[in-house]
Amino acid sequence: MESKEWLHPQAIGSSMDSLGAALKSNIIPNKEYLLQGSIMDSSVEVLLHRLRGLCDNVDTGAETFYDQEMCFSIRGSSSSSSMPQLLYLRVRRALDSTMPQEMPCQLRYTGEPELGTGDKARPTIVRSSVDVAVTPSILEYLTELGARIEFEYVARGYMFRKGRMKITVSKIFKVSREGQGSRPEDLVSQSYLVEMSVLAPSGQDAIGEDMKAFAEQLKPLVHLDKIDYKRLPHTIP
Amino acid sequence: MAHSMNVNVSVETPAESIIQEINYDGQEIYQPPLSMSENLTRLAQKIDFSKPIIDEVKSEPNDGEKIEESIQETPLNNASVNLPFEAIAAKIRNAATEICVLVDVLNIAREKNYMVLDPVPQEPPETKPMAHIYSRKKALFQAGSMLTSAAERLRTTQSETNRSRSNADFHIELLRLRQNWRLKKVSNSIIGDLSYRTAGSKFPQTGMFEVTKADDDDVTNTNGNVSPAQSSTVTPNPQQSALRVTIPTELQGVAYIMVLCQKDDERLFNTSINLLSSPAAPSNPDMHWQQKLEAAQNVLFCKELFNQLAKEAVQLQAPIPHMVIGNQITATVLPNIQLVIGLCHSSGNEITKQSNNSNLTNKTTPQKSNHDHVLEHSLHQLLREVHHKNTHHPFPHPSSGPLGPSTKRYLAGPNAADRYELLSLTKNSTLLEQIIEQAQHFFMRIRAEQVLDTIAKQIKDPIIISHWNSLNSPTQSSVRVTIISHGFDFMCRTSLLVHVLQKSFRCICKDGKIMNLSYECEELRNLILCQIYHHQMVGIQNIAKSMGWQLLASTPYLGIGNVEPLGNASSSILASPLGDRLIAIRCEPQGKVHVSIAHSPRKDFFSGQLVKERKWENLGGPFKEVRWDKMEGKNFLNKMELLMASLTSSS
Repeated sequence: MESKEWLHPQAIGSSMDSLGAALKSNIIPNKEYLLQGSIMDSSVEVLLHRLRGLCDNVDTGAETFYDQEMCFSIRGSSSSSSMPQLLYLRVRRALDSTMPQEMPCQLRYTGEPELGTGDKARPTIVRSSVDVAVTPSILEYLTELGARIEFEYVARGYMFRKGRMKITVSKIFKVSREGQGSRPEDLVSQSYLVEMSVLAPSGQDAIGEDMKAFAEQLKPLVHLDKIDYKRLPHTIP
Repeated sequence: MAHSMNVNVSVETPAESIIQEINYDGQEIYQPPLSMSENLTRLAQKIDFSKPIIDEVKSEPNDGEKIEESIQETPLNNASVNLPFEAIAAKIRNAATEICVLVDVLNIAREKNYMVLDPVPQEPPETKPMAHIYSRKKALFQAGSMLTSAAERLRTTQSETNRSRSNADFHIELLRLRQNWRLKKVSNSIIGDLSYRTAGSKFPQTGMFEVTKADDDDVTNTNGNVSPAQSSTVTPNPQQSALRVTIPTELQGVAYIMVLCQKDDERLFNTSINLLSSPAAPSNPDMHWQQKLEAAQNVLFCKELFNQLAKEAVQLQAPIPHMVIGNQITATVLPNIQLVIGLCHSSGNEITKQSNNSNLTNKTTPQKSNHDHVLEHSLHQLLREVHHKNTHHPFPHPSSGPLGPSTKRYLAGPNAADRYELLSLTKNSTLLEQIIEQAQHFFMRIRAEQVLDTIAKQIKDPIIISHWNSLNSPTQSSVRVTIISHGFDFMCRTSLLVHVLQKSFRCICKDGKIMNLSYECEELRNLILCQIYHHQMVGIQNIAKSMGWQLLASTPYLGIGNVEPLGNASSSILASPLGDRLIAIRCEPQGKVHVSIAHSPRKDFFSGQLVKERKWENLGGPFKEVRWDKMEGKNFLNKMELLMASLTSSS
């Protein structure tokens, strides 16, 4: 019974068809709606209490996470344009998994924020994002492909969810090469990064409204806004 | 002369300010005019306290001579009197003089050497007793009136609070209600929600209730039989609260899920059960709102549970299909055993009877004792688990992963799960299947207990001990059965482990054999019986070893003798230490044993024509059976031991 299925060529063809149909019918979540903000260390406890009350599952409390993220860049082939395009990929893995088998790493591609006609009116950043779960051998694979590590960091913090929205409050650390554990000088800043994101198919702008409404409830503690990366003062080391 | 008659006359105000400086270019810099405080300071500095006072003493002497002098002096005095504050300074000087004199007088009077202060005797005042009394009476009357007015005010405030306590109570009760239930205000009314939506339920029926103030006329209605003299101050009943909650009609009353396991002796259509023959106590309308709301929530939960079970019963395909009739689901657990799940709902005063196609002669009313509380609790727990899974999705680690898919789905990608694994991820067993599994296991456990208990009661010779494991799950238990003989437990002990599964038994013997039995009790019973007689044989061999007897032969499956209905007979042959006695034992699975002994050198050897030599007497004589029931000894092994002891000759 199983061998019949395995050798059946139609099984493979039908999966491509279903993938194409899924792409056409716009049900694959490949867009990320994002709002970001930051809060000082002294006030983060208040924010965590507030989120615990507002978000789902009050009884289980906040979920902690401890991730390491590495950003790679691959130089694309310069076919027609003069400048070769740089493609940025992020590999993120969990350092705190308690399960006997390690959780897979996430390979992530995030695109530029969408610039549309109603961009000013849009409450959140919308950018395309593709997440794929991969085995830890992705690092060697990317190195073989010719990608270079741009930067890496370690993030430790708390995760909450409300419906479809995922809210993370995390602290960024530099990766310490020598030993384990983060020393005080590994801190990047004395504040926590607060992010609210939803992964959804493109075109569902009502999600942005919901996110904005929820961000209003966190208002005096932290202002979640869409941040225009190009306008940030860029200090070149 | 043409002189112009106009003369230019310039009028200037006199300079008020003093010129401080004149610049080289003719510009004049004025001193700024003195402010009010500076002016006052300037005037006050002119007071000279050291000048003697020009007082009126000088006007005393005869006016004739001194008038001229005084007139002459007055212009001088006038000049000094015109200074401001002169009068004030004079008065202050007079006051200082008077006070110095007074101080001196008091000091002298204090020393009592030169001057003594003596009181002047005065006449005692006239006492008018009546006026005194009248004044006292008036004072007391005033004090009394003040106190009575204060008491009046307190009484009025207390009666106010008594009357308006219902208002204060209402708010306090509303606070308590809000602490336990979710309320929101919609235009004028307060609506609450008692459904399990926030806990993860997806049941479409809403559980909304309305909160209103309990009106005052209701209070007087209930106290209508109180005598009118007492009805002036109506104190509210301590059991009544200021709030009233209105629950939708379909959620009123009390409901529970009745779970019955019954033997299906009659035909399938005859399972008519009057589920509400013994309903719960009817709810009194004065029940506290907390109990009312909890009962309504329970009703909603039971409805959701029954709805889910009924849907699954219709969708699932079982070998014997499940039946759903009205408020009752019937499922076959094991052959001839049915599980009946019913929703009993008694709403308020009216009891809704659910008797369908009732057989009047044989109406089986379920006793309360048949209702299985454990399975009912399991059903509740299963539905709560479903709710929990609906809300508590696992978080993605690392945190950038998508929310939603379970942990297995995350791993399915990198671990290259195939189609069947993915399909098996989507399948999860339904509530009805789970409860049927639990009911099946329940019956298997009961059967195993019965089998073991019956055997233990019937067979006293080896003692059968069963230890049930205290840790078990709703679908699996285990028991360890130990067979020992009394007094010989150090010698020989047979044990086996029986796992009670949902529809089968699994027995693991000490030698490693694993046997899977079906749900019939007879198989388990037969297995235990076989283990018992096996135990006897092993016991005999161990005793023989310890007594010094030799085991000549042993056969677990004997092919001679009567055919056994169950299993096979086994036998052993033992020889005494000196070799002069033989014991042959045949053990049957039904429990009967046959023991025979023989003498090795024949006692009754007579050399005949064929067998001439004496040595042939050593071939051994015939076996004679021992009357085992007359044998001394508490149990089989004890008897064997005594037999061996008696047959062992010392020479």
